[in-house]
Amino acid sequence: MKKSLFDRIFKPEVITLANGHKVERPRSRMPLIIICLFAVLTISIKLTGFDLMIVIKRLYQLGAILGKIFQPDFSFLPKVIGPLIDTIKMSLLGTIIGCSVALPIAILSSSNINKNKTINFLCKLLLALVRTLPTIIIATMAALIFRLGTFAGTVAITIFTFGVVGKMLFESIETIDMGPFEAMESFGANKFEAFWSACIPQILPTYLSHCLYCFEMNIRAASILGYVGAGGLGLLINERIGWRDYNSLGTVLLVLFIAVVVVDSLSTYFRKKLG
Amino acid sequence: MISFRNVDKVYPNGVQGLKNVSLDIEQGEFVAIIGLSGAGKSTLIRTINRMHDITGGTLTVDGVDVSSLKGKQLRRFRRKIGMIFQSFNLVTRSTVIKNVLTSMVPDMPWYKTLLGLYSKQQKIKALEALDKVGILDKAYTRCDQLSGGQQQRVALARTLNQDPTIILADEPVAALDPVTAKMVMGDFKRINEELNITILINIHHVDLALDYASRVIGIRDGEIVYDGPADKVSQDVLDIVYKGKSAPTSKEA
Amino acid sequence: MNDKILEAYNKRPRLAWLYFLVSAIIISLVIYSAQGMAFSGIAEKGSEIAKGMMHGLTHPDKNLLFSTATDGVPYLIFQTIAIAVLGTFFGAILAVPIAFLASENIVGKPIAYITRLLILLIRTIPSLVWALVWIRVTGPGAFCGVVTQSICSIGMISKMYITAIEDLDTRILESLDAAGCNAFEKIWCGILPQLYANFISAAIYRFDINMKDATTLGIVGAGGIGASLLQCINSRRWAMVGSFLLGLIVLVMIIEMISGKIRKKLTTGE
Repeated sequence: MKKSLFDRIFKPEVITLANGHKVERPRSRMPLIIICLFAVLTISIKLTGFDLMIVIKRLYQLGAILGKIFQPDFSFLPKVIGPLIDTIKMSLLGTIIGCSVALPIAILSSSNINKNKTINFLCKLLLALVRTLPTIIIATMAALIFRLGTFAGTVAITIFTFGVVGKMLFESIETIDMGPFEAMESFGANKFEAFWSACIPQILPTYLSHCLYCFEMNIRAASILGYVGAGGLGLLINERIGWRDYNSLGTVLLVLFIAVVVVDSLSTYFRKKLG
Repeated sequence: MISFRNVDKVYPNGVQGLKNVSLDIEQGEFVAIIGLSGAGKSTLIRTINRMHDITGGTLTVDGVDVSSLKGKQLRRFRRKIGMIFQSFNLVTRSTVIKNVLTSMVPDMPWYKTLLGLYSKQQKIKALEALDKVGILDKAYTRCDQLSGGQQQRVALARTLNQDPTIILADEPVAALDPVTAKMVMGDFKRINEELNITILINIHHVDLALDYASRVIGIRDGEIVYDGPADKVSQDVLDIVYKGKSAPTSKEA
Repeated sequence: MNDKILEAYNKRPRLAWLYFLVSAIIISLVIYSAQGMAFSGIAEKGSEIAKGMMHGLTHPDKNLLFSTATDGVPYLIFQTIAIAVLGTFFGAILAVPIAFLASENIVGKPIAYITRLLILLIRTIPSLVWALVWIRVTGPGAFCGVVTQSICSIGMISKMYITAIEDLDTRILESLDAAGCNAFEKIWCGILPQLYANFISAAIYRFDINMKDATTLGIVGAGGIGASLLQCINSRRWAMVGSFLLGLIVLVMIIEMISGKIRKKLTTGE
């Protein structure tokens, strides 16, 4: 085994056993790691102006707001339903479109199926690039291009879903068993037939499971997009916080909470069935 | 009839898989190929349906020069040759019958493949193939719930479903326990006798090879060092195949 | 014999209607969601804006990209990293007790259930809302980002911790019992070595997410690169947007690469 730089600087301790055999024990890296971590934390605290005392002293402020949030104003409920449906619609449509686009790109990104290295690299790069952009930035830009409203939100969700599902999917595709593919080729199937009959049945359950998981995430994500004018619950959240109407904010969050729990349990149920 | 004439196979990385191999296998023979790992057993089997290309000599199957085949011709040629793998190579998440049906995919129009539309006739045929290997009752079970031996039988049924004249089996029993291995070998024997299908089998277990095959080919470093009936295989022959004693000057058969 | 096969054929599961039903449901859902979608066409200056964005991304503001001032890209990037580092660090520490309290094999069902509900509550409140609430405590700035992320990270990190804790191999405790260890020794030698790699791996995974989230938080005034980015977008200074986005893309990609490597090393030992 090649020695790492660390082991060359800090020579391993040599232990001689009673019978004369020698064992090399590499120096522990723990002290180095702790020093690094400590340095990084100190710099970070400087850069962000973090001060624990302020948090402790002013925590009552948070308590007051949270207290109001946990006493939701139910008369506000009727005004929440419309935006909630908007949010769900946005995530649903965005998830479905994003997932459909992700499937072919993920297949092209899998090195075990697509042997063309250039296309393979380009698809992986595309997926990586898309994932670096925060959803809310995409939504802001989409809102500028397509006007404010749910359409911009759907575009943002679609792009986000595409990146996430595409990545998870190609990682799963790269681990599938290529044996059945080989078998199909051995009895005279062409590449497409072999792929369709041997690989797709392996990919499909994972793919659907990823889609459902992403839908879960999208409900949460879609709820904040309204903040930049992309429609849905976020619009209300932004408005209520602006007015410091925390009781109504509590109602919005409660509705969101229920929606998330329902979607989560539905999706968990179906994902178990798929597994 | 499969006939090798001075066949060579050199892999791109320079490893010599086969060295000047010449042999004839008649229709309906049951041939076991024995030898050490890496001796060229797999290479020999895989050149027959051109999963591997040969680099020298000629290889003909029923008069067809294998290396001259291209694209569609090659795929049609492969329809006549079944293949069985050590790791079964089944889609384990699918049901048994779906796996068996996949061997009909190459004969179907593309839109039926796309939607997985198999006709009643095809389904019945697949069930018959399952019946031949004795696992008809498992038809609608998922493959990952079957034992290794049962999975290898599914693979066998999938192969039978394409009506092959030749079955190539690459270490079909290496992943199975001794009792199951014997049962699967029995299946091969029965198919060989009842349907007159040529069977070429790569195998590590010499005992099984001698019990079930009618002809044994010993291979070492890509060369054939023994080729003769199973009942003539003696300890000397095995020493030549496995321990590298010098080969006798005149080959049998 | 033919009867046997026909019988098997007739026993085939009939799933066609199920597939049909599922497809019908999905299609009607799509149609339903698409209806309210009111595609109002591209905004008046939409195409112009899109062109501006493309131009900005290909011609970023180079001064900004390499400026060392506090409004330059490098400084803001380091501030964003700092927010994510601290947020993940505090979140990872706070998650430890919560995760143990939520593991059925440690505290039993009732307590675990209550703690899980708490985690779910924390997770449901979007990070943006947390930030807006915390701003009242800390005032705007990177400080607020740190506190927000510390709280928001708890949800996911503790969920991953719980998985690790519930997968604990308890047989090792028996062998330590047999070797005569006391409770502390059992935890120290039997449990912690099984957990710490998973715990660190979870924290690093969350760090990745926090990096991206830190950008988002900037939008409500919680520091980092996001605030400046949004400002530039709203005032349509595309060249500056371009340099911020380029900085962000490079940053996230590098972080993702490094964290992926570390996590692989932690879980596989290679």
